[in-house]
Formats: sequence, C-alpha cells, structure tokens
Amino acid sequence: MTEKAKQTSFFSKFSRYRIISALEGYLYLAPTLIVLAIFVYIPIYSSFQLSLTRAAPFGNRSIDVGFENYQRLLTDPVQLETIWTSLLFTAGTVIPGIIVSVMLAILLSLPVRRLSWLHRLFIFVPIVISSAVTGVLFRWIYHPVVGYINYMLSTIGIDGPNWLSDADWALVAVSISVIWRQLGFNVIIALAGLQNIDSTYYEAAKVDGANLWYRIRHITLPLMSPTLFFLFVINTINSLQVFGEIDVLTQGGPGNSTETMLYSIFDFAFRGTPQRGIASAQSFILFILILLLSVVQFQVANRRVHYQ
Amino acid sequence: MSEIQTPKRVAVRAEKDTPVDLRTEIIVQVALFTVGLIISFPIILAVFTSFKTPQDITNYPPTLIPQERIRVAVDGYDDPLLMFDVTFEDGTIRELARVRQDGQAILMIDPNNPEEVIRVENAELKNQTRVKFTFENYVTAWTSQPFARYFMNSVIQTGIIIVFQIFFSILAAYAFGILDFPGRNLLFYLILGSLMVPFQLTFIPNFLLISRWGLANTYAGLTIPFLASAFGVFLLRQFFMTLPKDLHDAARIDGASNWLYLWRIVVPLSRGAISAFAIFAFLGAWSQYLWPLVITNEQQMRTIQIGIRFFLFDQERGADWGGIMATAVIALLPTLAIFLVAQRQLVRGIAMTGLKG
Repeated sequence: MTEKAKQTSFFSKFSRYRIISALEGYLYLAPTLIVLAIFVYIPIYSSFQLSLTRAAPFGNRSIDVGFENYQRLLTDPVQLETIWTSLLFTAGTVIPGIIVSVMLAILLSLPVRRLSWLHRLFIFVPIVISSAVTGVLFRWIYHPVVGYINYMLSTIGIDGPNWLSDADWALVAVSISVIWRQLGFNVIIALAGLQNIDSTYYEAAKVDGANLWYRIRHITLPLMSPTLFFLFVINTINSLQVFGEIDVLTQGGPGNSTETMLYSIFDFAFRGTPQRGIASAQSFILFILILLLSVVQFQVANRRVHYQ
Repeated sequence: MSEIQTPKRVAVRAEKDTPVDLRTEIIVQVALFTVGLIISFPIILAVFTSFKTPQDITNYPPTLIPQERIRVAVDGYDDPLLMFDVTFEDGTIRELARVRQDGQAILMIDPNNPEEVIRVENAELKNQTRVKFTFENYVTAWTSQPFARYFMNSVIQTGIIIVFQIFFSILAAYAFGILDFPGRNLLFYLILGSLMVPFQLTFIPNFLLISRWGLANTYAGLTIPFLASAFGVFLLRQFFMTLPKDLHDAARIDGASNWLYLWRIVVPLSRGAISAFAIFAFLGAWSQYLWPLVITNEQQMRTIQIGIRFFLFDQERGADWGGIMATAVIALLPTLAIFLVAQRQLVRGIAMTGLKG
C-alpha cells in the first residue's frame, strides 16, 4: 500500500472536509458492500446453518440434526465415492491441462516471424466458449455413431470407446472437454510467465552450448515455477467447481461415474426431493477440501518454487 | 497469496529476436498451424455441421464440409435418381444412376442412354456428392423453441449485469483508489476476500432468498446476486491508483466535487481499463449456467445457455444435431465476436490479473 496518504494534500488539513470525504467514501462503497453482504457474506452463515438441518417428512419445517449430514457424507461409501471422483477428475484435468498448456506456450514463444497473431487466435479461442456450449460441442464429437473422435481413431485402426455411456471412459471424456475450455487461459498465463524470464539466461546457456531441451529443462521450467504453481492452484480450484460440462455431457452418470462433489450438491438440492441440508454440508466439505489442497500446494511450493 | 508473482507482459518473446533459419521457421509454422486447427476443431465442426442436411449429418464416414448426394432427372422415371461412381471388378469406372434393388444386384442406367438397364453385381458403389449448405437448421432452431426469447433474455441479463458491475465497481474503486477514510484497507481486503468464496457455498441460500422475495423467473432474480464484482473493484482500483494525486487536488481547488472529478476526469482517463473489465464482465455473465438453471423454471425466462440444455435433452431421442449445432453456434457468436474484436485486450487482461473475471 503505497498510498497511505501522507497528510500533505491541501484539503486534508481541514477536518470538516475529512469527515465529509470519509462519508463520501462509504457512500461510494455502499452498493458493492451491500450486494456482497447479502449474496456472499451472509449466505456463508446461512449455508452453515442449513447444513445442520434436514427437511421434516411433512410440511416445510426442518429438523436440527447437528453434524449428521457431515457424518453421512464422510462415512457413507456412496458419498465417499463422489469425493474420490472429484479428486480423480481434478488430477485428470489439472495435470494434463498444464502439461499441454506449457508445451503450447513454449511452441508459441518460438521466434517465428509471421502469422503469430493467427496462431494465437486459433489456440486461445476456447476461452470465450461457455461451459454449456463446450458440453454441446463435445457431445457431438463423442457421438457414438458419427462422432469425429472415434472416426479419427478408426482411421488409425483403433476402435474407440463409447465415450459418454461407458462408465470407464465418461470421466475421461468430461475431463478432455474441461481441459479444452481452460486451455486458452492456461496458455496465456504460461506464455506470460515464459516471457518474464530474462533472456540473458538463455544467452548465457547458448554460449555454454546448451541445446534446446537442456534450456527448457534447466532454465525455462525452474524459472517458470511460480507461474506453474499459480496455474496449479487456480486450475485445482476451477476443476473442483466444474458444473456445466458434467450437466450437459453425463449428468453424473453413467451410474455414478461422473458424480463429482459439486454435481452431487446440485443433485441433492435440486433434483427429486430437495435435500438442501445435506447439499449445504457437501458444499462446506468441498470448500474445506479446496482450502486444504491450496494449503498443501503452498507447502510444496515453499520447497520447490524458485523465484528469480 | 502474496507469493504468487503475477506475470506482467505479453508482448515480448522469450528468446528475443534470435534469428531463425527458414527450416525452423517452416517446422514451427506447420506445428502451430496443426495445433491451432486441432484446438479450434470443435468450433469449426459445429459451424459446418450447423449447415448440414439431416441426411448428411448421419452419413458415415462423416465429412466436414456440408454436402448432398447428387440426383438426376431421367426421362421415363418419376423421381430423380441417385448418381453413383461404380467401380467394376475389372477396374473400369462408370457414372450410373440407381433405379432399384433386384435381389443381390442393383439395376442401374446411364443417364445419357436411359434405354439400356445395367445389372450391377459385385461392384463398388460410391455416392456422387456436391457441396451444399442449408440454412434449414437455423430456421428450425429459431422456430421450434422460443429461441428469440432465449436470446433476448441473455442480452437483457448480460446487459443488466455489465452495467451495474461497471457502475458499482467504478464507485468502489474510486473510494479505494483515490479517497481516504478510516477502515479503507480493511474494507478493501473484505471485498477482495469475497473472491475466495466459491459460488457453490452461497448459491443455495441465495436461491432460497430470491425465491422468498418472489423473484424466481424474473430478470431481477437472474441478475441481482451479480450486480457487484470484487474483481472489477480490484482491477479498476489498481488503475485509478496510477493517476497522479495532484490531479485530484487541482480539481478540488478548482471547485470540482468528487462526483464531477470521477466522471469528468477519472473515467475518461480509464477507458482502457474499464473496457477491459467490461469484456470480462460480458463473458462471465453471458456464460452463466448454474444460477440461471436453478432460478428459472419457466421456459419463457431461460437464457440461451439453459435453452441449449433443454433443446439438447428434448431432442435426445431423435436428436436433431443440425438444430442443436445451429443453436450452439448462435450462442457462441456474441462471445466469439468480442474475442475477434478485443483479443489483445482480453489476453493482456488475463496475463495481468491472472483471473478470468
């Protein structure tokens, strides 16, 4: 905070002005604060209260059940499965997503003279596609009869799986679509990280006769580690909260194979008989999981990330 | 989060101006072009599919470019006949029109010599096709569901959210970036902290609240929870803080109120930052999915994203993929247009803030 205004400005000498100015400040903040209070801060509390209840069998009343919802979510094998699915899905989108993004960023940063704007256009474009449309586009690509992905696989002699109705492949299929949608964002961040690396490192390495792979392995990746770390944190948070693609592609199925924690919140709260208590409990568990993973990542980062 | 270094620049290259030889240039160009095509392929495929006839869509193997089978009118036959390239066992190829199946064989004729009927057995038949774009799917997409209404709902919903987010964020950013008052930093961190609260934690109480207010299935219900943006406040504050403090003092000495100074000086000077934020706000609002899904249950109030979902699931039995793709293309056109116009700003905004809005 550089701006901790040193009382040097002409007007700040007058206290009446300062009071009015302060009031004005609060007034300018009021709309944002009110909206955030009503729709972000207070709901955290209401959500927690809700998570300690369940709907009474008759009428609109709810019964206090203490931590029973949490207990059920953390002991029932079916519910534990959704936590496992979420973790699997997160690992399956974040790790390949970042690897692909870094490779693309390195490719994009190679010094070609022409058309780099066009390449960027084609590679970045998924950032503007919504999750619902992403789901629809991939549903078509995964089509069991005329889907392009299986057609492509068949041209090289592979008999592709039935992506969306095979319980072994559905989660992979959803992951691919999510990796695709997040690719543009990841490549942009990775590219910016690459371009922050001081070029003198490369020049020095070149003088020493290091080849391209050596330079990537021993200069690019270590110096990119803050960026990689940032991508890991953001992508983990995002992947744990994917909803659109799952809803459009599989709706949690087949069986429970793509039922992530977030999708189960929606299932509990809005499909069939609403069970908003347990849905809220699940959302708290997910929130805590996100925090835990972030803490773990920060711990790892403390040992592994190099800053220039 | 202070340990995270947010990347600053995008313009420069990693290995600055190292001259490359032609061979490397060609290899890299080809690689980039291939990768670009693969990544944008789902969109390209959707666009082409949306111009295909139903019969063309179900053809196997699938083709990218929309096409139709060629038919010719032949004297003596009521309906036009399908044209085939026929490869006979001895390797000769003839262009023949198909009349009908006759047991194992197919009866065919040469359109130039319709008198003679040829019995074709053990030959390879390949449909003759030509490029054919149809707008049928767009007509179906538009007429078989209240599509204009979905589109309008999305425009209104997005419009309300953008206008309020920009307005409220400018006000709050002015307070944080230029005014001074007790508790300023505390309140700033409070607002910033809301970025850490995931949507799933708040949306059930919000749903109950909005429903209790009787605002489900209204534009108010669709938009009210999103009228403020902590991201916008943060982005604009960072920019407002770069304006010289003397400018503010000078304006005040000349008798300008804060309100006047904000709208006459600060906002015009910050057009770049404000329009960058507007792009993020637009993309975020237009793409919203979970909230509009739960807060609307009347067809008339669905946004385009939700419209697609229900169109897809209604169609599932005898899926009209042409119509679905046309719907998807219409839904992605506005964001694609923004991307084409403002790609540079969007990319710079993401690289600077590390956030998508």
